[in-house]
Amino acid sequence: MATRRLVLAGLLASAVPRVGWADAGSPAWLAAARLPDDSHALHGIASDGQILFRIPLPARGHAAAAHPTRPEAVAFARSPGTYALVIDCATGTLRARLTPPEGRQFNGHGAFSQDGTVLWTSEVLAETSEGRVGVWDARSYRRMGEFPSGGIGPHEIRRIPGTDTLVVANGGIRTDPQDRSKLNIDAMRPNLCYLTDGMVQDVVELPDFAQLSIRHLALRGDAVAFAMQWEGDPAEPVPLLGIHRRGTAPTLCWPAEAEMFAMRSYAGSIAWADDGRIGLTSPPGGVVMIHAADGTPVERHARPDASGIAPAPGGFAITDGGGSICVLRDRLSPLTREDVAWDNHLVAIDSTIARSG
Amino acid sequence: MKTLLALVLMAAPAFADTATVVNARIGPGYQRFAATAAELADTAADTCAREVLIPLFNDTFDAWIAVAHIRIGPVEDDGRGLAIAFWPDTRGTGKRVLDELTQGTAPLDGFERQSVAARGLFALERLLYDPAYSSARGCEVIGAAATDLQRMSGAILEEWYRFAGLMLTAGAPGNHRFLTREEATQAIYTQIMTGLAFNADMRLGRPMGSFDHPRPERAEARLSQRSLRNLRLSLAAIEADALSLKPDIPRTFQAMEKARRFADRMDDPDFADAATPEGWLKLEILQQLIHAVIEAAQNEIGGALGIGAGFNTTDGD
Repeated sequence: MATRRLVLAGLLASAVPRVGWADAGSPAWLAAARLPDDSHALHGIASDGQILFRIPLPARGHAAAAHPTRPEAVAFARSPGTYALVIDCATGTLRARLTPPEGRQFNGHGAFSQDGTVLWTSEVLAETSEGRVGVWDARSYRRMGEFPSGGIGPHEIRRIPGTDTLVVANGGIRTDPQDRSKLNIDAMRPNLCYLTDGMVQDVVELPDFAQLSIRHLALRGDAVAFAMQWEGDPAEPVPLLGIHRRGTAPTLCWPAEAEMFAMRSYAGSIAWADDGRIGLTSPPGGVVMIHAADGTPVERHARPDASGIAPAPGGFAITDGGGSICVLRDRLSPLTREDVAWDNHLVAIDSTIARSG
Repeated sequence: MKTLLALVLMAAPAFADTATVVNARIGPGYQRFAATAAELADTAADTCAREVLIPLFNDTFDAWIAVAHIRIGPVEDDGRGLAIAFWPDTRGTGKRVLDELTQGTAPLDGFERQSVAARGLFALERLLYDPAYSSARGCEVIGAAATDLQRMSGAILEEWYRFAGLMLTAGAPGNHRFLTREEATQAIYTQIMTGLAFNADMRLGRPMGSFDHPRPERAEARLSQRSLRNLRLSLAAIEADALSLKPDIPRTFQAMEKARRFADRMDDPDFADAATPEGWLKLEILQQLIHAVIEAAQNEIGGALGIGAGFNTTDGD
């Protein structure tokens, strides 16, 4: 089925000038995974869990960025990343391979500009972990420049919907360029940084929790939900979710007392569902934690090695290292299972943006 | 024919006996815990005599340690695992709330709504071993805490059988908790591995602190002098679980016996000797022996069964 679709998509691609996500079978999500032969691939997943396409990656992937209009995805390597691949999801072909400039490493995430002409990539200077946002022409995929991310060790970057303002999760962790060992745990200063045209607009810090590394982001309107990992004493209960609106102080959202260690100090991914609920995954805790839109903890769902989470109709879709794709509406139920290990993130392809061109 | 049989045997995948762990280890473990907690609560309803309650408290604690590393199923609901044994209490919440409770006069019903830090075995330890709580009011709090503990142990036991059913039917249609058989096996394996790590990193690691700054005051259950006892009992229980899951693990077994023999020879019930260089080094050796168990189990159990700690669990990004 997928093959026939790909062939059809290929025919269409050659016949019509404007190619959209529908030509890639209209995947709802993108996710990288390890295959049984230990190779890695990017997958396009339909909303019913079926795999629409599978495109090989040279090494372990992490997250991806979907072009707002063209069926093009940028698959990022797990950090410290040496590659990012621009993939034409309609034809299954490689459009471009991005390599970070000398002394820089990709950090697993990126975002496209509102009009789809620019790709921004999360990067660090390998020696110091100083953050950079790489700027790439999203037609030629040539590098146009870069600007500071506003902190150390940036991880996820997202564009605020309806704007070209970026919000960057500067995790604050300085890592060894080779082995990822953490070098500055006692002196971390993570932040959430808002940037427009490379100019810092706003910097949000968590002075009481300097060892909470801000790493992943979910957006809803002007609100940014951020997921963190705790680098301090694992016996300390800490909030791993924060919510921020520009011009206000961030809210840290504590888990319920009974669940205070359910996430084992670590959030892997975060998503904001259309109904307002916020979902966080914790692979070490084997849980999906659901919060209300204001951050109030609502419930815990058990799912071993759960990591990828993205909005789905009526709730969330969740992927795990065992190969399952589940949906969480009122309860968690399996959708499909592949003989793969799903990687950290499940990336939603925003169909509303895709439609609006 | 012989050759064919040999081939079949050789081709058989490594076998994980999840059912034995579930039925012969965890179930009976919860039964013992519920029984000891019930006896403690029944007795505490009649008397607060320390010489009567303390042995029952220790029986209950022993029974808990045998299953304490199992953190799946009903023990995870309503924060039961935390409330039964809240340690370490880095903020001293347990003491603060117990002080308020024992100095106050408010009725003690609804004890199950108190902070998890002020309930369970560590609350009872404080109430029973610290003379500051030997008042009549302290006695009432003992009764409330023991009743609460009995209630939780009973609920875990009752609900365990349903959860055990989910583990034993892993992968069956309609089982949304364990989607494959591997998930149930992996869940048991994870309890074994995190239990071992808890002994090395927390039970030993916290009082050890660093060589230059040992922290014996952070040892678990110092008041009742159970720090070393808890470690020994936990290692024994985890060893039995591991052997039930996969009997053919000679290297892991050897490493476990080595660690247990070393722990058995130690004479430092509350790890106070962490403050001395010699005592600290002993704890470090034991910690290394437990790490050796972890390594052996990773290969012999995890590797052989084709299960690991989880693709994303080990990634950390």
